[in-house]
Amino acid sequence: MSGPHPAPEVLALAARGDLPFFVRLRLRSHLMRCAVCEHAMTQFAAAAAELRREAATETLTAFEAIADWNRLEREMLGNIVVGVAAARCIENVGRKRRWLSTAAIVTALAALFIGGWMTHIPREETNQLVSKLSHFAGLRNTPRSASVVRTTATGIAVRSHGVTLTILHPSSAVVSVSGNSSVAARYVDEDTGQVTITSVYGQ
Amino acid sequence: MASKYFGLPLSLLCCLFAFEARAGGSGGRWLEVQFPHDSPVLPVTLSLQEPSPTTAAVRGASLVVDLHASLLLRNTGTKPLSGLTLLVETPDLTPSGRGSVTVPSLHAQPGEVFPVHLDMQISRPLNMGRTKGPMMQVSLDCALFSDLTAYGPDRLSSRRTLMVYELQARRDRRYLSALLQAGKLSTLREELNFGLQDINPAQLAFELLHGTAPPAGNAQPVSVAAVAFPSAPVKPLGGRAQVFGNEMRSSHLEVRNISGRPVKNFEVGWIVRDEHGRDFMAGSVPSTIELAPVETASMTQPGTLRFSHPSGQPMIVDGLLAFVNDVEFADGKLWIPSRADIRQATSDPLLRRVLASSPEQQRLAEIYRHKGMGGLEHELKRMD
Repeated sequence: MSGPHPAPEVLALAARGDLPFFVRLRLRSHLMRCAVCEHAMTQFAAAAAELRREAATETLTAFEAIADWNRLEREMLGNIVVGVAAARCIENVGRKRRWLSTAAIVTALAALFIGGWMTHIPREETNQLVSKLSHFAGLRNTPRSASVVRTTATGIAVRSHGVTLTILHPSSAVVSVSGNSSVAARYVDEDTGQVTITSVYGQ
Repeated sequence: MASKYFGLPLSLLCCLFAFEARAGGSGGRWLEVQFPHDSPVLPVTLSLQEPSPTTAAVRGASLVVDLHASLLLRNTGTKPLSGLTLLVETPDLTPSGRGSVTVPSLHAQPGEVFPVHLDMQISRPLNMGRTKGPMMQVSLDCALFSDLTAYGPDRLSSRRTLMVYELQARRDRRYLSALLQAGKLSTLREELNFGLQDINPAQLAFELLHGTAPPAGNAQPVSVAAVAFPSAPVKPLGGRAQVFGNEMRSSHLEVRNISGRPVKNFEVGWIVRDEHGRDFMAGSVPSTIELAPVETASMTQPGTLRFSHPSGQPMIVDGLLAFVNDVEFADGKLWIPSRADIRQATSDPLLRRVLASSPEQQRLAEIYRHKGMGGLEHELKRMD
């Protein structure tokens, strides 16, 4: 034995090669004479080598993962898609519930409206409304008036397809219906003194 | 700005039409008068400047022609002419519509010349193609002579109408002559409205529609009251109509032939009562229903009749009255109510005046207003 044994942390630092130069020379001379410390030193060195090896292995594994960017992107996109799909599922569940409640309200209001209509509105008006809606929707053709016969401020007129024939008369004329589709005006002509009857006829 | 750009072409178009009107001279481009060569009535002259000139103007998107014609006709037959009807047609409107001018109570002797005025207005879209030939055609539809014989194609059933007018004229002249001879001048004056011009005659404005949908709202069924003349061969029994405010639809009337003679056709007069209880003569509608002796039938008037006051304000129909105005038997003879029938039909003086209204009564009242009792007496003697 050559002096006291060095502390274990000195032996660990020596195993990593981290001791100053003169301390390393003095420890080397001690190790040449002390088998116990040399054995401890060897164990420290083996542990450090194992640690370096493991560290190197772990570092390479993480780097390789970062270096495979496409894979990482796919994973990220997959996560996003899964998240969005999940959100949609949750949202549709809420929307379906709202739609069902709205449909129920509308159905109830429609039933109330139909019931009120049937009990309060006369059948004639219902038929009339249906007739007008059918005509508006083009389901039924209502015959159009071929001509219109009417009186005006200055005469009696028949109108058809944009053309109007008016037979004029004085304001003193007496107008009357003269048939199913004709109107007449009767007056005394101031110039001739003759009573004159004008008529227009529609189709 | 637009009117500035369009004003010039429209004015040019106007001038073009006006030039054509003048260039026509006798009105050949505007008006064509067609009478058969063997007609007992023939045109002598035609003027498009009387009583006011014929003009053409553009109003909006339409061409409006104001046509004022004075047609001088001559009775070239051998019998006095009682009345005539001229048919007015325009190619733009044929066959949907046409017009007529009737002059009853003419009493034109053979060889006599008399004027007939035609005052018309035609409105047609500017984009409508110009038709070939004249814009308007005038032809003779029927001429009735004093012996109640007639001439003409009678496309408007004018012969029957002229015969009714002639019978009414003879009835009224006889009645007024009898009052004059009996010295019942106060009654005579009352019959002729005291020589006063009716400045506010009870008038209606009409619109006749066919094929229109009923208006919104409840239809009010209105019963039709019957006014029966004691000697009428056909009596109205009553009826009903659907009234939508100022519109009358689907009017039905039950009638019965109480005579022993078959009836060829008859005419029903309609009186409309408004919400204030005033009666208006709506007119008369012919029916072609043939009635065997003591037969009952129902007549229905198709279409819609819309009433309004001359101001344009709708007139609410509150009641309807119907009476048989005239009857034509199967043998061609006509019945009209006598003055006694009218007097006995109602005690309401206003309704009686409405029932007694005739073209001849209107003409004689006008003579009395202008020429007094002497003028009326002279006219009654001339027509006798």
